Amino acid sequence: MTENRLTDRPDRPDRIGRESFAGYRRPDSRLGVRNRVLVLPSVICSHVVAEEIAAGSPGAVAAPHDHGCGQLGADAEQTERTLVGLAGNPNVAGTVVVGLGCETVRSDVVAAAVEERGLPVRELTIQDAGGTDACVDRGAAAVADLRESAATQEPAEADDSTAAADDSAATLGDLTVGVVVDDLADSTRRHAHPLVAAFVERVAAAGGRVVVAGNERFAAHPEETRALVGDAAADRLLDAAGRPARATRVGTAAATRGFDAATGFLGDAPVTGVVAYGERVGAGDDRGDVDAANGTNGTNADGGVTILDAPSRVEEAATGLAAAGAHLVLHVTGQGTPAGHPVVPVVKLSGDADTLAAVPDDIDLDARETDAADLESYLLAVADGDRACAERHGLTEFAIARAGPST
Amino acid sequence: MKGRVLDGAALVLADGDSVATALGDLDAGREVRDGDRTVTLADDVPFGHKFALEPLSAGETVRKYGEVIGRATEAVAAGEWVHTHNCESTRGRGDVAATEAER
Amino acid sequence: MRREFTGYRRESGRIGVRNHVAVLPTSVASSCVARGVAAEAGAWARATPHQMGASQPDAAREQTERVLVGVGRNPNVGAALVVEFGTEDIDVDDIADRIARGGTPVETLSVREVGGTAAAFQRGRTALDSLNEAAADARRESADASELVVGVECGGSDATSGIAANPAVGDACDRLVAADGTASFSETPEFIGAEHVLAERCADEETRRRLLDRVERREATADLMGVDLRGAQPSPGNQEGGLTTIEEKSLGAISKGGTTPVRGIVDYAERLPVGGGLVLMDTPGYDVESVVGKVAGGAQVIVFTTGRGSTTGNPVAPVVKVTGNPRTWERMRANMDVNAGAVVEGDATIAEAGERVFDEVLAVADGKRTGAETRRMEEFAITEVHPRELAEVRGA
Repeated sequence: MTENRLTDRPDRPDRIGRESFAGYRRPDSRLGVRNRVLVLPSVICSHVVAEEIAAGSPGAVAAPHDHGCGQLGADAEQTERTLVGLAGNPNVAGTVVVGLGCETVRSDVVAAAVEERGLPVRELTIQDAGGTDACVDRGAAAVADLRESAATQEPAEADDSTAAADDSAATLGDLTVGVVVDDLADSTRRHAHPLVAAFVERVAAAGGRVVVAGNERFAAHPEETRALVGDAAADRLLDAAGRPARATRVGTAAATRGFDAATGFLGDAPVTGVVAYGERVGAGDDRGDVDAANGTNGTNADGGVTILDAPSRVEEAATGLAAAGAHLVLHVTGQGTPAGHPVVPVVKLSGDADTLAAVPDDIDLDARETDAADLESYLLAVADGDRACAERHGLTEFAIARAGPST
Repeated sequence: MKGRVLDGAALVLADGDSVATALGDLDAGREVRDGDRTVTLADDVPFGHKFALEPLSAGETVRKYGEVIGRATEAVAAGEWVHTHNCESTRGRGDVAATEAER
Repeated sequence: MRREFTGYRRESGRIGVRNHVAVLPTSVASSCVARGVAAEAGAWARATPHQMGASQPDAAREQTERVLVGVGRNPNVGAALVVEFGTEDIDVDDIADRIARGGTPVETLSVREVGGTAAAFQRGRTALDSLNEAAADARRESADASELVVGVECGGSDATSGIAANPAVGDACDRLVAADGTASFSETPEFIGAEHVLAERCADEETRRRLLDRVERREATADLMGVDLRGAQPSPGNQEGGLTTIEEKSLGAISKGGTTPVRGIVDYAERLPVGGGLVLMDTPGYDVESVVGKVAGGAQVIVFTTGRGSTTGNPVAPVVKVTGNPRTWERMRANMDVNAGAVVEGDATIAEAGERVFDEVLAVADGKRTGAETRRMEEFAITEVHPRELAEVRGA
């Protein structure tokens, strides 16, 4: 029941022959593949206002979530760190942080941390603004302000005007690709793992970076994990005390399959470290929030694979990958989970015949008939501005992994 | 809880409470009438803070909301500001722990 | 003091104060579709997006199910569409059946079954339109306060909360209980410090035992995060505002429930009895999750006190905001509903403010829109049972 996807959908990104893309050059010379002002609620209580601000502002996107209140200790810190990390994603031209005014994860603290990184940011709260209506108005003004003060060359797309479209061609080696495999079904292991492994090796060989989510697989095999990343990094990855059990099917499956089966999609590319959820993989001089306790320093200056301490659930993994600096996310899904992400384009790959038949328009690529070169071409097309399936239906989900219970 | 307001200046939440809560920043010397007794503030009492309606001996319980909210750590005269300096929880010095935690 | 209002009489016999069509995703995977379909359909369609996974450990999954069913069966819901992606452990038909048992018209939608997101939007819209028609058939009838279950919450507290807004709302709860209604407050961590007082007010030993047990569990949960909820209170900010001891802080919080005996304590999202007097619910202090728990328990109206100005609402139940801070009332007028700040300014007694709150509850029950409703502030989140809590449940 395979369709010939090469010719099937004329509005899909190209699969053949693409070798470069044009991105958006930030003032600090990072390259983005999208160009949005991020309206970032620091807490659930301001998410409606954030969404209204973004809805009324061209070129803005909101990242509404359910957190920022009722969180303690490491759980609250993780949310705060992740929000700051998101503002630092290369696709983000600037950030408007919106708070309520009395929450645990405070908008002014988040904004200050973003500012410290030298990134364009504005901050406001519902309580300071004098209510939700006033806050929406002020937020829209803040978005407009950010768009104006950013570089203003001719945009590549009609609604992106906050950064210069860069004509110099970027290639695979300039990308940080996030990878999340949300299940361990037979079809995934048989068809998707080898493809992704080959692609990961290709990215690393080109000098690009791959960040991989899915901590359940490593938690299930502590010894092999230590051998892979060293003790210090492994300690970080294996410490699951107090974390809610997520993606439990993956956890169970990872325990019963061997380590190789569970992590087959990594291929032979060098794994150079582990990065904590919400933290950034360093880039050259800009080491940023590096976790010294890792023992590896989490940087990946020469290309290679970094493991992100995130669950295999795409909603949370994509957020962690975005905070880590991924330009886009390759979502391998046996199930076909449809959601995209507000900050990073999500390209969906499946090797499951039932899923491909059930939700054909929500899956970008069939793993059974795609090779690594095709995959590269497709991703470069998406990097160049072509829309992945999830971007076309426009449904996004934004979640942050929890590190503790609500209190 | 009916509560009664004294002179527009302070709120007594339940009958029998030994403290009243200031509804504005009150200056030392201010007189506050409560029925047929008058309490003269011995200290400045900021909004939301408490003052004693009657004298309390050291160790005596302090009542608000009709319940025990703490005990006096020293003798307190009527009209004195009641707070962490002269009133402690009957359940441990959580206020100290919290302040130290923040430092 | 008015006690009557006109509501929607449901087959179950309960009275709703609104007539929404609820769109209930069974997991995070179908949340975006639920949200999108409801937004396109119209303001009468109310989605409850959340972040629970497609596969949860049993106790966590059961809690998610209880919330979904409870919200679907809330009397404010005139019809419901249950949306699954198709790979969830939760059985969409089971949820639908359990909601339908209450007499509510229900349909299901499976994103995978219909062919993906685009098809789900089309089919979802068709289903919603037909459910909306079914809901429109609901009978409007006169009812009184005895049929109300009112959930009470506090958030964004400041120095005025414990002396004005909470006592005023407590007074309103006393009136509601006197009128044979049900008042319910929760946020168990806030009982800490005065739980002995609450315990003494329990009408029977079983309730008392459960209350103290739930308080202990919540304390243990915070302990997991290295936080001593009892030992580090009041916070420096609280102390600056005038709170001296944890007892005082806690008594200020629980004053929002009034002075009547505690007739029971239910678990998160467990059904609240009609005509039950004052009944507590064990929830985290996290407002949005706590309100959702009470709505899932059947509360038709939520009264929410806030000193600093919380603006949250709920998709299914109107949230009445009461502030004791005159400045907040002035500055955030459009988001607030009742001014208990009059107590602080000496313009009203607690009893008068309490009467205003009670009157507002009845007016809202009768159809008056709250500030949160007008602005479509509809926050929703489900409390997830934590692994350590799971371990206790297993061991229990």
